[in-house]
Amino acid sequence: MSEHILATQGVSKAFDGLVATNNVTYGLFPGETAGIIGPNGAGKSTFFNLLTGYYPPDTGQVFYHGREITKLPAWDRVNLGLVRTFQLVSVFDTMTVLENMMLARMRQGGSYASKGRFFFGRARRKGLDDECFKALATMGLEGKAGTRTSDLSYGEKRELEIAIALSLNPQVLLLDEPFAGLSLVEIGNISEVIKKLKGKFTIAIVEHKISKLMDLVDRLSVINEGALVCSGEPREVICDPLVRECYWGKEDMVCY
Amino acid sequence: MLKRIEQSPPLTLLVVAAAFFVYGYSTSLFKITDFIIFTIFVLGFDMAYGQMGKLSFGHMLYYGAGSYGAGLCAIHVYPDPFLAILAGMIFGAALGLILGPVLVKLKGAAFALSNLAFNQLGYFLVLVPFAPVTGGEDGISLSFNSYGFIDFSDFNFRFYFYLACLLGVVFLYQRFTRAPYGIFLRATKENEIRVRFLGYNTQVFKVVTFVISTTLSGLAGALNALNLQFTNTSLIDPTRSVEVIFAALMGGAGNVLGAVMGGMAFMTIRQYLADYLVRWEMFLGIALLFIAFKLRKGLYGVLAKG
Repeated sequence: MSEHILATQGVSKAFDGLVATNNVTYGLFPGETAGIIGPNGAGKSTFFNLLTGYYPPDTGQVFYHGREITKLPAWDRVNLGLVRTFQLVSVFDTMTVLENMMLARMRQGGSYASKGRFFFGRARRKGLDDECFKALATMGLEGKAGTRTSDLSYGEKRELEIAIALSLNPQVLLLDEPFAGLSLVEIGNISEVIKKLKGKFTIAIVEHKISKLMDLVDRLSVINEGALVCSGEPREVICDPLVRECYWGKEDMVCY
Repeated sequence: MLKRIEQSPPLTLLVVAAAFFVYGYSTSLFKITDFIIFTIFVLGFDMAYGQMGKLSFGHMLYYGAGSYGAGLCAIHVYPDPFLAILAGMIFGAALGLILGPVLVKLKGAAFALSNLAFNQLGYFLVLVPFAPVTGGEDGISLSFNSYGFIDFSDFNFRFYFYLACLLGVVFLYQRFTRAPYGIFLRATKENEIRVRFLGYNTQVFKVVTFVISTTLSGLAGALNALNLQFTNTSLIDPTRSVEVIFAALMGGAGNVLGAVMGGMAFMTIRQYLADYLVRWEMFLGIALLFIAFKLRKGLYGVLAKG
């Protein structure tokens, strides 16, 4: 348990009697890139929500660096380096791209640590601007800084969300279906970014479609009907008969 | 043009000051003082509604707290006008700090109606159980020390002093909205949960915002107590909470000029239309219907477009 950077011990969550996550014990090793797959409605996102403190589990515990964080609110987890993105892209549509980034950076950059600056200081300051442009450049969005976020394409919003997540100094980055709703070119771009990030910190990716994860992740886990079915080397996992039965049965996948 | 003014804080201060000067000197400074107080109240209300997106049906409670805070301080502590104003703001802030942690967790109708319920409660407390202190329905009449030209019984002084207060509030309001805090508020209004996942303890910041709102409302209430030289239950009457909502909607929420226009327009209707129309409230009702259906963003929304 202690070698895991982020781990759960028998977490369960039910909504009105529907068990979304059922007694899952799972751990992420420092520096690895892990994938979590499962059919629609399998409870992948619920599991992510339990990890990140979106809601508390009904039973079970969550550990981060060996310390229990089950009851820690979401914002404290973020400040510890546990950062996530959302399945449905959620950036702030009414604000500009730059303002979206500023909101993320204000909390992290040293210059806004003081309360006085936060309430009375100018939002547009050179130091913060530079930081934000640099963070936007990681996803090639610096040219769009002044654009209203609602005018971005869905793919660009996804890129912005990832750029924001990266700017929060993550130790563990949880990506909830980062490829959903994107074109093939955009999927390629984001895959490239994730490949570059591999090894810099721990990454977990929830994905519905396995094919996009095969060459990205070191380890693959399968969730079905709220429970962890199996976990291991990606090529072995998808050949597991149990996995094929619950998952690939519907999709005609070739065993690698 | 309106947008350009709003975006430049010095220009906004200038325009607001000029508007009240022109209006004051072309009508009566005495009456326009009321307008200024009400506009401060609208700005305070707008911190909660326009900036945080929480519509309160009971903001008269904080206004009343300010009035009674000022009045009780003048009677029981010391009749210094500035101390009274400070006491009013402290009363407003304290009430916000006590009720805020519970209230800001609520959304939409629950927030609106809980505020109304607390307002009703406060009104009753002032009216009956605390009547020996507050004077019940009759209220208490107040007098304040004067120091040379600083004389709150002189309406000329009041006009200038209150205008200075209003400009101070406008300055603060714009400072907040242009600071990182302003970006935080807009984001929270759009998607609070997402803001939490950027590492912000939204609950704390929402309470702070609510307290700013109640403090400014308390300031308006205190200024009104000094203006009228008395306080009574009409200054905490929950049915009057509608007035400030109406003014904020009419002007356009979320910006200074909208609040100022809304405050001025509402008070104009109330002060001057009332001379011609016996049932001026009916006119207000019709105007509100028109705003609700046609002018979603209020006067500011219409004028900023053109």
